Amino acid sequence: MTTQTDALQRRLALEHEAVWLYPLIGARFDELTKLARTSFVTHRDTRDEVLARLRALGVEPVATELSYDVGPLSSPAEAREAARSLEAGISAACLMLVGITEDDVRQYSIKSLIRSARAELTWGAEPQAFPGLP
Amino acid sequence: MAAGGLIGGAHATHRLDDLADAVGLKPKPQPDPADDRLLRSAATAQAALLAAVEATAARHTALELAQFVAIGREQLDALGGSTAATDITPPPDDQAAALTALVTAYRSESSARAKQATAAASPELARVLASMSAGLFQCARTVGAA
Repeated sequence: MTTQTDALQRRLALEHEAVWLYPLIGARFDELTKLARTSFVTHRDTRDEVLARLRALGVEPVATELSYDVGPLSSPAEAREAARSLEAGISAACLMLVGITEDDVRQYSIKSLIRSARAELTWGAEPQAFPGLP
Repeated sequence: MAAGGLIGGAHATHRLDDLADAVGLKPKPQPDPADDRLLRSAATAQAALLAAVEATAARHTALELAQFVAIGREQLDALGGSTAATDITPPPDDQAAALTALVTAYRSESSARAKQATAAASPELARVLASMSAGLFQCARTVGAA
């Protein structure tokens, strides 16, 4: 059974990945630099929020990795696909949290889900009936 | 029959299980009665929204709203609703005003589903309603960008 701590750790791992990925995209593709910078700032702030939540629970947060396997990044289209995939993973992680939390934490998770669903669109996804669900 | 009617009475006990099955989640055996009311309310609102999207799509064909009609039907199906006998205000004749009305409706329903998700006792229902909220938000953004 997934606990709130497990789900927050999963979310943090994905935020670490986002903080790693977006500078890479911004540096490689001029046309995506502005968008990648905005995404980086958003995810850096979110990572810090999730870190704080885990520390408040008395948990040692998962560490960032040296690099991540996000697939090929040799074109803007591939970069967009990597970003969409990552944001979809974050949507799923947020939705997991919705089901195992209540009140304020659930509300926070729903807001986070809506934010990642918006980010999916920003990186080129089509609207879906149920973002985050399998 | 209004959308909520399909969910009431003897259907209520199984409705959340059906909903969970529809979206690939593990069913919960005994839904909270309050969750059935939430589900009925969400289905009724979703039916009205879908009717509004369909009416706008029919009146303003240039807007190409087919994907939003499909999304609305998928969401309503998951809630077990029906669009039969749903009364709505006709969309504005002006295309821009019709778009604005749709964006407003999507935003409003997105907020409503988020509140219902927060209140839901069942984790499965909370997830479905939260996900719907995010999907409706995406629709608002996409329609608004048209």
